[in-house]
Amino acid sequence: MEYRLRLAKRMLFNKKGSLIGAVLAVTIGILVIHVNFVIFQGLFDAIVRDISNYRNGDVLITDEEDYIDKSDQALVNWFERIPYVEAATPRLSSTASINMTKFGTLHEETRIPIVGVDPLRDIRASTVHETVSEGQYVFSRNSIVLGSNVARDLGGAQVGDSLKVKIIDRYGQDQIKRLVVTGIAKSPGGQGFDYSVVVHIDTLRDLMNRDGDTGSIMVKLNDPSKASDVKNFFLAAFPNDDFIAETIEESAEEQLAGFRSGIAMINMIGYFGMMSSAFAIVTIQMMLVNGKTREIGVMRSIGATRKDILIIFIFQGMIIGAIGAGVGTAAGLGYTFYAKETKMSFNNSLPLEVSYNWEKIIQTAVLSFILAIIASLYPSYRATKLLPVEAMRTV
Amino acid sequence: MSKIYGTDENKVKALDNVSFSINKGEFVLIVGSSGSGKSTLLNMIGLLDRPTNGKVFIDETDTTNLTDDKISSFRNKKLGFIFQFSNLLTDLTVLENVLLPREIAGTSDSAEKNAIELLKAVGLDDQINKRANKISGGQAQRVAIARGLINNPSIVLADEPTGNLDSVTSEKIIQLMKLMAKKLNQTFIVVTHDRQHFGDVDRIITIKDGKAFEGNLPSEMGVLA
Repeated sequence: MEYRLRLAKRMLFNKKGSLIGAVLAVTIGILVIHVNFVIFQGLFDAIVRDISNYRNGDVLITDEEDYIDKSDQALVNWFERIPYVEAATPRLSSTASINMTKFGTLHEETRIPIVGVDPLRDIRASTVHETVSEGQYVFSRNSIVLGSNVARDLGGAQVGDSLKVKIIDRYGQDQIKRLVVTGIAKSPGGQGFDYSVVVHIDTLRDLMNRDGDTGSIMVKLNDPSKASDVKNFFLAAFPNDDFIAETIEESAEEQLAGFRSGIAMINMIGYFGMMSSAFAIVTIQMMLVNGKTREIGVMRSIGATRKDILIIFIFQGMIIGAIGAGVGTAAGLGYTFYAKETKMSFNNSLPLEVSYNWEKIIQTAVLSFILAIIASLYPSYRATKLLPVEAMRTV
Repeated sequence: MSKIYGTDENKVKALDNVSFSINKGEFVLIVGSSGSGKSTLLNMIGLLDRPTNGKVFIDETDTTNLTDDKISSFRNKKLGFIFQFSNLLTDLTVLENVLLPREIAGTSDSAEKNAIELLKAVGLDDQINKRANKISGGQAQRVAIARGLINNPSIVLADEPTGNLDSVTSEKIIQLMKLMAKKLNQTFIVVTHDRQHFGDVDRIITIKDGKAFEGNLPSEMGVLA
């Protein structure tokens, strides 16, 4: 065994060009998968993160009847007694028509999503307030925060401007209220409330004629992995109500489904890339076998069996796979580290949520190692088929 | 035995009913002109190729029906090879080249000591750690002789061992082979077209048109069949 490994190493390391080529093929295959993972999984996780931070929390409570009529105060207090819960906050949503006169011109926008928040609780359970780039978050009943796109569509609304909000209440009546713009919200990647407006929840309740009603309770956990436990605990505690409790994966499923299949496709492309690397190894090893035909003939003539020759070239595949997997994984981790530390984003868009998925990292390294061995099987088999007399004639 | 290459009208009879036996310890030359079939004969004896008809017996073992693995083992343990171009593995050192047949056999007991002794005997004990491609042609051929002897084979087969060397080096290699043959009581079968350099040997077999003859001059030839 020892001499076969030594021969495999020497033959390979004395052909540095082939070794580097084969190792690079494996390295690039792994790197493609790591880069894909960092970018696309990072983007997916960033969207999940933002949906969770801005809209749904880790657990979202709604009601089959559209509105929760139980006291939001009581529900929030119930949640905040659970150690896993960081904070909970009520939300109410509808659509509104908004008009504003700017420099003598009337600007009107219809069907704008409007979200009512409890400002004191919201800043603990959500990070929407951090997206307010101008002015400040909702702080009184007559204040409104405009999404940056809504502000633009309203002719360039600014902090301090006054505008009219019209909502159709639960009885079909128009309800109008004048509000003052206190902030403009703009989130990186646009996952926040850039296309919505935010008002005090009580203001929206008044406009909708839904005194005491809540659209949803957004629950933020200090340990998101406990979301299912909290959800089940909640549903068990309120068995006779028509509550719907969903984890972020469930509540955002519709938004994430397309992305999930996109990631699966990108992963497939990555694995095809890895298979291309395997073909490159086959080609390089065939060259190695062809370059060592005479030596193979000599070894056979002095007593090496076909199995010995097979093992020598499979060892080469293992060496290529091991070095390639090591270098590729190191390069992939380097890229992941860089992306994480620099909070990588593209064109100032959504910062990627980069994570080290050790299971996937190990799986990729092991897979590429195995592929390198599989790729070496055919050249190794060809090497065993060389007849000593014929092989030694090769110059 | 006979060896026929090709089929039908392209048939070439490389060896034609050749039959002889060689005794242990004999130094035998196989001579003949280019294309006469002497290397083919050596390949048959060395189990590197199979005869079309006939059998090769080595140490009273019929090698005809041995499996590929058995033949490899046979080549490893019973036969030593010295080739025209030495055919050392350039990825290995001189010592590793000599050790290789022993490592293939899987018997490494005192292998290194034996290899160094052999390299000493061929005058290369100061080159053991050099890469095989860093030594001269004459030195490489000496290493090949040491490699051919490391497993103490029944027969050492040499195919034009001086064919690639200048006359001075050839003379040294020939003397070395004869010395080793005598010292180790080793059977040597040497294929050469350079009869004169070898001087006195135990036997000469001449191959002409695929047939084998005892002796070296056509007038003296006794047909071996």
